[in-house]
Amino acid sequence: MSTVNTSIRDALYEAPGPKARKRIAIATAVSLAVLAVLICLIVRQFYITGQLNAKYWSLFTKFSTWKFLGHGLAGTLEVALAAGVVAFVAGLLLMLGRISNSKILRGISMALIEFSRGVPTLLFIYFFFLIAPQFGLKLPAFWKISTPVALSAAGVVAEVFRSGVNAVPKGQTEAALSLGMRGCSVFFKIVFPQAFRYVIPSLISELVIVLKDTTFAYVVNYADLMQNAKVLISNYDALLSVYLVAAVIYILINYLLNKVSVAIARRMHVSSTMIMQ
Amino acid sequence: MSVSNLLAQFGDKYLLALLTTWKLTALAFVLAFAIGIVITIMRVCPIKPLRLAGDFYVQVFRNIPGAALLIILVYALPYLNLVWSYYICVLIATSLLPAAFCSEYLMAGMNTIDVGQIEAARSLGMTFFQTILNVVLPQALRSTVLQMTNLLVATMLTTALASQVPLKPTDLTGIVSYINTHAVGGVTAFLISALLYCGTAVVIGQLGNLIDRKVRILR
Repeated sequence: MSTVNTSIRDALYEAPGPKARKRIAIATAVSLAVLAVLICLIVRQFYITGQLNAKYWSLFTKFSTWKFLGHGLAGTLEVALAAGVVAFVAGLLLMLGRISNSKILRGISMALIEFSRGVPTLLFIYFFFLIAPQFGLKLPAFWKISTPVALSAAGVVAEVFRSGVNAVPKGQTEAALSLGMRGCSVFFKIVFPQAFRYVIPSLISELVIVLKDTTFAYVVNYADLMQNAKVLISNYDALLSVYLVAAVIYILINYLLNKVSVAIARRMHVSSTMIMQ
Repeated sequence: MSVSNLLAQFGDKYLLALLTTWKLTALAFVLAFAIGIVITIMRVCPIKPLRLAGDFYVQVFRNIPGAALLIILVYALPYLNLVWSYYICVLIATSLLPAAFCSEYLMAGMNTIDVGQIEAARSLGMTFFQTILNVVLPQALRSTVLQMTNLLVATMLTTALASQVPLKPTDLTGIVSYINTHAVGGVTAFLISALLYCGTAVVIGQLGNLIDRKVRILR
């Protein structure tokens, strides 16, 4: 039983005997029935409220609908990518400050990281949407959404980088130093390339959070997937179906990103951390 | 606007907003924890449909954006005759999302337990539920204190969703937009809310470290 690859999920019960098999079979049947009833109830609710009516769903047979949603999705991905790049750079700088030798720089970076991690994305968005314009800082909608999303991700990115740097064995730094390399080149030539490898999966998970946060683009009126869904809703008068489809698109994309993260983590034998915010 | 001016005018509203955020966070976290544990037990039980349903739940709520979920709860579900108050909608959204992550953390926590312990429990004649409740979950909980602390902070940040619906009293994010539409609160209004969020997060983090040091199982 205790093979190397046994996870807890498999170890909790052994191959069942005849009695247990019977019990499991009954429980399986009962749970299937319960799940089926649940699904039926949901479908029934759709049916009696008329939401299964073809007029709410026929728009998805049109190419123009998908093209329009595709444009929105492109907008979402552009914002997410821009925010991801900004967060990457800002996170890298914060991490460098956090591990630097200067006490002041360390303190400032630590405070900024805590601030970035402790403040909700929406509050950052309101800052760029409501408050920054009062000071004459008028950004285009694209940056009004991607900057705050990036700022609220930067703190986590910095911590992810730092965990990667900490995972590189100390002996490597010592060896490089004793070969006569300078501290700076030790970090950028020896430590960081390895640290970066360790954290690629976690960075991809962080991209999922960035992508989710871009959903707030409607606050600043940027045409992302959600915003285009809204336009479709007013054109076709089909709210429930369009929002459900948009949600499924988001779920599928993030699901794929998570899968990629886990696959890379497995290939490189590093762990992929799950981050919620 | 100076801090004292702002607090004189909106001080009581800020206090209410802070309490709203705290209350939402606490309620959502307790609910998320309860749902998370149930989902986790489903995901490891020997009954295949329940396992799949648990996995499905986690994948859906790990990956759906909070704003999309709240919009569906508030604007779409009434079309199915499911009408809840704004507060309930926010509470549902802010507990369903962390529940998925809670389950993921518990699953990871379970994997730190030595398989030998489970085998020992089984050979003592413990049933599946006895093993889960007496051997697996307590240890999984003790080794995931730090993750759960982060989850509590994440739950608090998620409650900022409350600002997207008209809620009375509003939360710490909503009040910033309220002040900036009723007066020129400027950067002060933002900073007060941000520091209250941050302060809460730091306190939660410190408490988490304290609890972690007390209960962590050294292996």
